[in-house]
Amino acid sequence: MSDHMIIAFYACVRTLIGIVTRPYETYRHVINDGSYWELVPLTVIIGSYLGVASLVKTAAFRPYMLTKQFMVLTFAVLITFGLVVGLLWFIGKLIGGKGTIRGVILGWAYTLIPTVCWFYITSLLYVLIPPPRTNSPLGILFSALFLLFSSILFFWKVMLTYLTVRFGLKLDLPRISIIFFVVIPMVVFYGIGMYRLGIFKIPFI
Amino acid sequence: MNNNRQEFLKRWKETIDIPPQTIGPFTPIYKEVTKRLKVMPLPMVVAVSVAIVGLVVYLFGSSITKLVSLLQRGF
Repeated sequence: MSDHMIIAFYACVRTLIGIVTRPYETYRHVINDGSYWELVPLTVIIGSYLGVASLVKTAAFRPYMLTKQFMVLTFAVLITFGLVVGLLWFIGKLIGGKGTIRGVILGWAYTLIPTVCWFYITSLLYVLIPPPRTNSPLGILFSALFLLFSSILFFWKVMLTYLTVRFGLKLDLPRISIIFFVVIPMVVFYGIGMYRLGIFKIPFI
Repeated sequence: MNNNRQEFLKRWKETIDIPPQTIGPFTPIYKEVTKRLKVMPLPMVVAVSVAIVGLVVYLFGSSITKLVSLLQRGF
């Protein structure tokens, strides 16, 4: 087991570098040859964020409140992960996808890296430079930089999502577009539900 | 020699494993864009993001601070 963990950790680090420098080749490799063990380091990364988010959201060192918040966020992330993978897999298969569920799970798990980066940095900025932003030159400059950072991570996320569907389900562009047209509205409705429940204002997708 | 052949066969199998992307008359543009995104896409992503954010700042001016205030509470 420890051998699996070491190999998975090494593979995960290599993939994390690869999804920045050579996303196409890296995703092809992850989806064809990756193992479920790689989900362990990713879970640790996401779990550490959920810990930080619980602290920031609760804003008090009260174990009961922190644990409750952590559990709520963890369940929300797990359900969202399952929902998105399930939707991609189900709709992909309906329109002739040929991949494996392992490929889709691993591919989607790595798309959560830009998401975690955004949520992590946004949480830390919330503590360091709390909103609201003002209309001063510094406020506008910060806002522009924040939008730039968000936009870069958004495009990175879109690219990795596309590669997940492309390699995970072995589909061409028209069919990938069909999946996006079906899945995006569903995810938007789900996000509204999460917002109303007060779990995530922006869904952890 | 045998290793090279196996490597080539593996690469070939990977290449034909997924259907080629064609989008009619836009295929050359698509190929050109994706070629830049396959290796080190960051410069292109940053350039596009700078253009979009520049346009947003130009169109909405200081109102972007309201959007950012909302986003900052979004986690």
